[in-house]
Amino acid sequence: MGSRDILAVSRRSLLKGAALGAVGAIAAPAYLRNAFAQTGPIKIGFPVPISGPYSTEAQDQVRCAELAVAMFNDAGGLNGRKAELLVRDDKLNPGEAATRALELIENDKVNFLCGSLSASVQLSVNQVAKQRGVIYNSISQSDSINEKADFSKYTFHEGLNPHMTAGAVGRYVFPKFGKRVAFLIADYAYGHEMARGFRNAGKAFGIEEVLEIKHPLGQTDFSTFFPRIQAARPNVLIVCNFGRDQLNTVKQATDFGLKQQMKIAFPVLLFSQRLAGGPGPFEGVFGGANYYWGLEEKFPSAKRLNDAYRAKFNNAVPTDYGALGFAGVYALLEGVKKAGTTDTDAMIAALEALKYDAYKGEEYFRTCDHQAVQSVLVLESKPQAQVKSQYDVFSIVDTQPAEDKFLRSCSELGHG
Amino acid sequence: MASETSAARGATGSAGGLKGLVALVTRHRVLCALVVLALLPFLTPYEALAVNILIFGLYAMGFNLIFGYAGMLSFGHAALFGLGAYGCGVPIAKFGVPWFLALPMGIAIAGLASVVIGWFAIRSRGIYFAMITLALSQVVYYTTYQWVSLTGGEDGLRGVNVPAIDIFGLHFDMLNPTTKYYVLFVFAAVAIALFSRILNSPFGAVLEALRENEKRAMACGYDIARTRWLAFILSGLFSGFAGALYAIHLSVVPIETLNYFNSAEVLMITLLGGMGTFFGAFIGAYVYIMLQDVVTVVTVHWQLVIGTLFVVLILFFPRGIWGSFLKWVRA
Repeated sequence: MGSRDILAVSRRSLLKGAALGAVGAIAAPAYLRNAFAQTGPIKIGFPVPISGPYSTEAQDQVRCAELAVAMFNDAGGLNGRKAELLVRDDKLNPGEAATRALELIENDKVNFLCGSLSASVQLSVNQVAKQRGVIYNSISQSDSINEKADFSKYTFHEGLNPHMTAGAVGRYVFPKFGKRVAFLIADYAYGHEMARGFRNAGKAFGIEEVLEIKHPLGQTDFSTFFPRIQAARPNVLIVCNFGRDQLNTVKQATDFGLKQQMKIAFPVLLFSQRLAGGPGPFEGVFGGANYYWGLEEKFPSAKRLNDAYRAKFNNAVPTDYGALGFAGVYALLEGVKKAGTTDTDAMIAALEALKYDAYKGEEYFRTCDHQAVQSVLVLESKPQAQVKSQYDVFSIVDTQPAEDKFLRSCSELGHG
Repeated sequence: MASETSAARGATGSAGGLKGLVALVTRHRVLCALVVLALLPFLTPYEALAVNILIFGLYAMGFNLIFGYAGMLSFGHAALFGLGAYGCGVPIAKFGVPWFLALPMGIAIAGLASVVIGWFAIRSRGIYFAMITLALSQVVYYTTYQWVSLTGGEDGLRGVNVPAIDIFGLHFDMLNPTTKYYVLFVFAAVAIALFSRILNSPFGAVLEALRENEKRAMACGYDIARTRWLAFILSGLFSGFAGALYAIHLSVVPIETLNYFNSAEVLMITLLGGMGTFFGAFIGAYVYIMLQDVVTVVTVHWQLVIGTLFVVLILFFPRGIWGSFLKWVRA
């Protein structure tokens, strides 16, 4: 399985190839296979939920991660040593993810891990990786992973965290649209951490919280909440939910006429949901993002990613979460180049000293918690009239620069 | 059991070879199970998967006691498995308790829960029994979910660090996958031997009598309610034991261990392998987990493949793999 051949074909073929490999692997006893793993390509294990509710995002992460690997290999690798991506389906289940991480570490002898798309899954992969001294670069939202209890020197976090994401959106919408704020929160870790981020950011502006409603994950009918929200007369409605819940909320809020009375803002405004929902429901809705393809006007690195993606995938553009897959693998491979080896301690030192421009300007890993200090975009969804092409859906209204001060301080997180 | 011993006697019949072999295997079932399980790491693509099969086999074995032998469909065994996992994991992760104390704690907490859940549930039959066990297991799920400071809530419990196990002066490195498998295998072996002993006891016979004809068992003077309760508790202890090993294996306890889906999974494993058979649990676990692992790599629609296969098996082989095999051999 030469990695270049794989990259020339689609993900489906990759999975088929991997399947053949798996069948072969079953035929060979475990103890025999272990003998082959020490030399050869640089292996990056990539567990993401390619089946299940977040499969759209995860499959794009795989595509983008493969681009990062291809880019590294085309540039000659590490003195000719090529990189290889080992994709596994974690099924959005921490137990499955931990098992797959064990497989990748113990049997495939991966050099590094990257991936995951849920707080609990990344924490469980991180636990397995740090116990075994394997570098793991997580690309999913979480505040916990920065904190001392879960952090280890092997833990890196390319993903945004709720504190910086919600903070960026909050600092934009609160001074602009008013201090009366209502919260609609998906009742699980993501919703809670995001709401906490907004509340922290709101303190500086003296926001007044007029209402808080929690809804279960996967709610289909939001309209029952709207009369209460209207009665509370907020200036801004902060909706802390994700995926399909996000689309259902804006669709129903638009039909209900909620937008005439208040602004709606999400911590993360998803490119994929906007494409699925169309311009109407999302018109005038605000939200944060790690990436939007329109950044290419400003950053050559964004253009580099978009062009590579367009060339390989039928002129489409990478999604925000997909691009994280690129950035996560890219950062690791930049670290390899800088360290000149895949040796773990040398890699950690190299990553800590690294300044890299993967896809949206310069980033670096903060030394105390290995959080990638990076810019956060605040987006507004365009109305139908302004949409020029299929993928022209957002305008970037604000950018929170890549600065340490937007993160929780090291001492706050428990690092010395 | 009765049919198993009669098969042993008829070993010298016409289809002697295979029949005799099955009779031999049935007579030395613990030994045979252990021999196969000892070879398991060589029959799976990687060790972590072998550990999962071992653990889910144990879990299904415990579940089989109540479902296959006593004839009660519990839909709440996730609570017992999960509490075993949290009961073992929380003391290790949060209080630094050594593993040899935490492991029995996990079993004890699962046992305690099965005393309570069983006390409520055994008063009902059939679908009502299933619903009550489901409802009570959901209570456990949401309590654990909300109790973030202790259990980690939705993020799951992390930090169940058991890097090494020292027994009688011997040092076992649990980060070595092969060592880990065989250490857990020894634990499992004790449970399997115990389980076989329970089935062989008069109590085991009463259980099957109860499944076959409850009124007749009652007329024979057996205390039905207490037998059922005891069976539920024993089943909970085995499930909790499997859960505790799971926590040590993965070093995390996901909240998903308590999810009702985990109750459905063990039911599927048991049905697949053959309910009410000694080897069914492990055969079911092997086939179910291996299939998932392999099919997942081939297609993202793995649920479709597994689901179809499951429907076919239920329609044409309702006795499960081992059950159908036994029937075919003895026919």
